[in-house]
Amino acid sequence: MDRRAVFFFGAAAVCLVLVPLSDGYAWVSAVVAGVYALLGVGSWLDARSHRRL
Amino acid sequence: MDDLLLVLVVAVALGFDYVNGFHDAANSIATVVSTRVLSPRAAVIWAAFFNFAAFLVFGDAVAATIANDVVVQDVLSIGMIFAGLVGAIIWNLITFVFGLPTSSSHALVGGMAGAAVAKAGFGVLIADGLRKIGVFIVLSPLIGLAMGLLLTLLIFWVFHRTRSTERLNQGFRIGQLFSAAAFSLGHGANDAQKTMGIILALLIASGHAQAGDSTPLWVVLSAHTAIGLGTLSGGWRIVKTMGSKITRLQPVGGVAAETGAAVTLFATSAAGIPVSTTHTITGAIVGVGAARRLSAVRWGVAGRVVWAWILTIPGAFLISWLTFLVVDVFA
Repeated sequence: MDRRAVFFFGAAAVCLVLVPLSDGYAWVSAVVAGVYALLGVGSWLDARSHRRL
Repeated sequence: MDDLLLVLVVAVALGFDYVNGFHDAANSIATVVSTRVLSPRAAVIWAAFFNFAAFLVFGDAVAATIANDVVVQDVLSIGMIFAGLVGAIIWNLITFVFGLPTSSSHALVGGMAGAAVAKAGFGVLIADGLRKIGVFIVLSPLIGLAMGLLLTLLIFWVFHRTRSTERLNQGFRIGQLFSAAAFSLGHGANDAQKTMGIILALLIASGHAQAGDSTPLWVVLSAHTAIGLGTLSGGWRIVKTMGSKITRLQPVGGVAAETGAAVTLFATSAAGIPVSTTHTITGAIVGVGAARRLSAVRWGVAGRVVWAWILTIPGAFLISWLTFLVVDVFA
């Protein structure tokens, strides 16, 4: 799997772990987790399309 | 006698602020210097001005968090705050000697916590406040990274018809003046407010202010002046690490990194969250490198920086804890 996608999915997982610890700022952790998950999917698709070319 | 001690410790707090500006000057100017948009001398003057001007834009929410949400009010004393400051300053100087971009802010929180625990045990720490700061130790570089990366992608998408990268970078050289100014404004806002918070805590401890009072104007002005003067003195060892060792930056990347970090600092300062300007800009620079490819980031240097982050709170905690034991003997 693409290393960059793995990094982004890892960052998303870290942010998800922080959600229950974030009290009034849980939404910030959740949004950042969502952004990293999207970046992970985008990066994975990008690497996949490059391999096919 | 107490008033004389108070004045001395306020001077030490302003000294910490000066060292903070000196230590973190690199964050504000590293990208603008490494892309040769400004000479080092012009860059520090530019950054110092916006560090000082930050008091006109932001309130004192971060100062209130430092004064009220780290340790319980009853434990605050002039000696305890002095020990906390000494621990943070010594830690900053140690990391400066090794050229590590660690966080002055977390050194301050670690120092305050260490001195308070030495005085009255772990029960005086405010779990909610420390948890909020702890969560943002992790989140602030990740937000900076995401912002740096997304802004880089956005810039390349908007200017994808520009065939010459040279021309694109030429245009962004001017843009970098504004992004560096914005980042320096955010740096002045978040970091000077931490010193304002310490001085407010001192005023509360000595009976010159009540818990919940807003920060007096002389405190606001002196804290912003001290950080501006510190930035003016500059810290060149760390400029090298931030400006070229993490990833090579072009003006386009410099604008993305500084703007991403500035937006993060504006939002956290408005919400009263003390974050590390160092963490934020480092994350944003890594984000710009990662937009090209992960191998563009020198992970060995980034890893060294992460270790320095992890060690900052325990390191400053320990030094302040020991300092308080010495202060207590003399008190």
